[in-house]
Amino acid sequence: MEFLLELLTEELPASHIRSALDQLEAGFRKELGAARIEIVSLRTLATPRRLVVVGDFAAGQEDREEVVTGPPLAIAKGPDGALTPAGKGFARSQGVDEALLEAIRTPRGEYLGFKRKAKGTPAAEILKDIVPRVLAALSFPKMMRWAESPFRFSRPIHGLLCVLGGTPVETSFEGFRASDETVGHRIASPLAIRARSFAEYTAELERNFVVVDPEARKRTILTGIEDALAPLTAKVYPDPELLDDLTLNVEHPLVVFGGFPEAYLSLPLEVLSMAMRAGQKLFSVVRDKKQLPYFLGVADAVADGKGLIRKGNERVLRARLEDARFFWDQDRKVSLKERAAGLKNVVFQEKLGSYEDKASRLKKIVSYLCDKLKAAEVKADTIEAAGLCKADLLTEMVKEFSGLQGRMGGLYAKQEGLPAAVHQAIYEHYQPGSLEDASPASLSGAVLSIADKMDSIVGVLGVGIQVSGSSDPFGLRRNAHGVCKVILDRKLRFSFPLLLDKVLAVYGDRLTVERAAVKASCLEFFEGRLRFMLEKRGSRYDLVAAALGPGLDQIYDVLPRVEALDSLKSSPQFEPFILMAKRINNILKGVPAAKVNPDLFVEKEERDLYSTFAIIRDNAQPMIARGDYARAQGITFKIQPVLNTFFDKVLVMAEEKKVRQNRLGLLQSINKMLLGIADYSQVVVEGEKPAKPKAPR
Amino acid sequence: MSVQDLILNLHRFWAGQGCYLAQTYDLEVGAGTMTPDTFFRVLDKRPWRVGYVQPSRRPDDGRYGENPNRVQKHFQYQVIMKPSPVDIQDVYVRSLRSLGVALEDHDLRFDEDNWESPTIGAWGVGWQVLLDGLEISQFTYFQQCGGIDLSPVPIEITYGLERLEMFLEQKDDIYDLDWSADVTYRDLRFREEKEFSEYNFSVASVVMLRQAFGACQKEAARLIEKDLLLPAYDMCLKCSHNFNLLDSRGAISVTERVKMISQIRALVNDIARRFTTAKEGA
Repeated sequence: MEFLLELLTEELPASHIRSALDQLEAGFRKELGAARIEIVSLRTLATPRRLVVVGDFAAGQEDREEVVTGPPLAIAKGPDGALTPAGKGFARSQGVDEALLEAIRTPRGEYLGFKRKAKGTPAAEILKDIVPRVLAALSFPKMMRWAESPFRFSRPIHGLLCVLGGTPVETSFEGFRASDETVGHRIASPLAIRARSFAEYTAELERNFVVVDPEARKRTILTGIEDALAPLTAKVYPDPELLDDLTLNVEHPLVVFGGFPEAYLSLPLEVLSMAMRAGQKLFSVVRDKKQLPYFLGVADAVADGKGLIRKGNERVLRARLEDARFFWDQDRKVSLKERAAGLKNVVFQEKLGSYEDKASRLKKIVSYLCDKLKAAEVKADTIEAAGLCKADLLTEMVKEFSGLQGRMGGLYAKQEGLPAAVHQAIYEHYQPGSLEDASPASLSGAVLSIADKMDSIVGVLGVGIQVSGSSDPFGLRRNAHGVCKVILDRKLRFSFPLLLDKVLAVYGDRLTVERAAVKASCLEFFEGRLRFMLEKRGSRYDLVAAALGPGLDQIYDVLPRVEALDSLKSSPQFEPFILMAKRINNILKGVPAAKVNPDLFVEKEERDLYSTFAIIRDNAQPMIARGDYARAQGITFKIQPVLNTFFDKVLVMAEEKKVRQNRLGLLQSINKMLLGIADYSQVVVEGEKPAKPKAPR
Repeated sequence: MSVQDLILNLHRFWAGQGCYLAQTYDLEVGAGTMTPDTFFRVLDKRPWRVGYVQPSRRPDDGRYGENPNRVQKHFQYQVIMKPSPVDIQDVYVRSLRSLGVALEDHDLRFDEDNWESPTIGAWGVGWQVLLDGLEISQFTYFQQCGGIDLSPVPIEITYGLERLEMFLEQKDDIYDLDWSADVTYRDLRFREEKEFSEYNFSVASVVMLRQAFGACQKEAARLIEKDLLLPAYDMCLKCSHNFNLLDSRGAISVTERVKMISQIRALVNDIARRFTTAKEGA
């Protein structure tokens, strides 16, 4: 049976629409499931003024057999099997023929009872309650009240269309009685419309200039863009986010093509596209990666026969570009170096000081990192970039378009003729902004990016601000992802704990939390972030846990460690090896550290094990040191047969204390070597109960 | 249609919606929202409908008369209706049609934009209204003012008169607008923009402004104690304007900025609280 619901509202923000559609789908599935109404199909659609649910539901609940139990059989029937007064009373009270009574077996014993057919409730009846419940449960990031009601929603509500099988459902929500009525496009055709089926609904709306399916609107936009650009052999600069938003901003999309004076092309591409996108949601037009003096916009209109929409948008864009050119010219009158002096008045964080303080810390951190990464060739330039990278916060352009921070500084530095390593580092130091964003292409940019983010993370955690599920005011997760991504992408190897020590030392006594505690919480924080990132890349959670086992001395090494596990996990040696490692781990639980003395070996098998171990260790160590975990792991696997023989022939827990401790000491040495590669005890093998993975946040 | 005709039209339209036509308030304010005809009237439970023109001073937006779009003083047409009428969006659309705009030929959009004014502890939810990409109005369901949850909820519609007029006259330069048949915007405002930009950015005495800020702040606190809430509120408006001037002189650091705004807000919230409790007691 076809179900159609439309909640008519004032213009909803795109992000609210996306969230509402998810909630509506989940809400109806859950409620209908609980009410035993079968869902054949269910989907959601939307325009900025309409949240729409279309479904095919069963006409009602299935009839079902119900068991009604009465008194215990022992009470209800006498020894002769005849009904007692209690039994008769039950039949009477239920209005059921005594002949239909039977013994019902339950876990508590036998009872007198009977079975009856229960008629299923029609879907229309059930939807009466479900519809207002699902709608009332909708929640939004920011909610409002209107008029005189205490009710809160995303924007005011104007009507509820709700039809099942061609008949309006007898229900209401927040004072709106469900009907079969809605309205057309606000400007083009604001008339009342009636619809009792989805086909009628879409057809009537289409006639009144509303395209209800977002996918259809998106197609119209894409076709419109293609048509407009075909004669130019140009392309629109891809911006899927903008496309999605625009699709949800209009009821009747109309692609508008316009232009701007070529003189503005002297502005950097970054500035042009930001000016177009930020204020007016316009797409840029490019050919061979070069900006053309055109734009594409999406209007909510039927046609632009007189070209007024195009001209209006051109006029507004011209004013914005004029502003941008003014900023670009003004900003370049003051060098970044002069401007950086003003950073002492700009607060980075109340307890952590100004951006000038931050810049001077960054100089020290990048200097340290360049030494550790043996990047002497960019050291001086990176230090210079560190001192200048925040100066663009004081430019007019960044005040107007905050999304250009960093990139603007880089562009201005380039204009000033600063060396490539300097302006690239400034330009790229906010990158990557997300896990999908690219890491800095330059080494100086990578170093400055890591330094900037580490300074923020250590500082913010160091003044006692916590990151929790819902609260991350300084974007520390994004920062930590950025650090890890740069390290992994560029294969940077340096000791992470020592970097933490350096950053802590640079902060000196500014931090309010004790140093060791900050360091520990940073390590824990990064471990969690790496776990999240590696699992997101598709590695098994237990292999990630095993790869994180040896610790974060080298952040980069976690990746080859997990890759080594990944590549060996299907080899036949893997599982026996894991089981053996677990066995060693179990034997050693709670055993105090013991030394190995080759003179104390008694059996041939333990001597063999010791010498094999020594050879393997000596071979594996340099491999581990240079991060070649695949080979290191391959070679340690070779210890397995010798170790097996050892376990077969030698009793570890020997009676004589010295011999016993010596054998335990040998196993400890082996364990230590294994733990340098992975914590194999974390790996789950078949037949084992998996340990519950920590939920990634 | 001249600016003057535009104002007359809006007056006639909103008077027709039952609005009382207030006269411009005689203090410097950053927005029409800050005048007593909005601030005090949205706080209580009584219905209220008002429309008025309010010059808005934003010292930081001065461009010495050289920018065709930005000025340090512009004119707003402010409408408050409390409680917000059910069909207020349609009423607003009709107001545009009453100005002779054939909306079928244009792109009218209600684009998410939530307004807030931390200085007077006010915020609301709504949109900027875009006409062919040009922001012509702010449309806000007021949720809080003076730190107090508003009930009933008022709707605030603020037309940017110059923006709207530039659209109506299809002109690119604010100074080319006609104020009346024979007076241009340039005649009225150009010299003022030049001189005030000079004053706002370079000449205003930082020492005097700081003293004035402090003095008005003290006076507001003293008047609140005497339960003279309207005069106290005037003092807060003066604080706010002095603060804006100090800001455009570049005399305020970021931390100081936060502190000064919260000082004004504390006074304003105190006034709002006393104003509503006194009302309820009476």
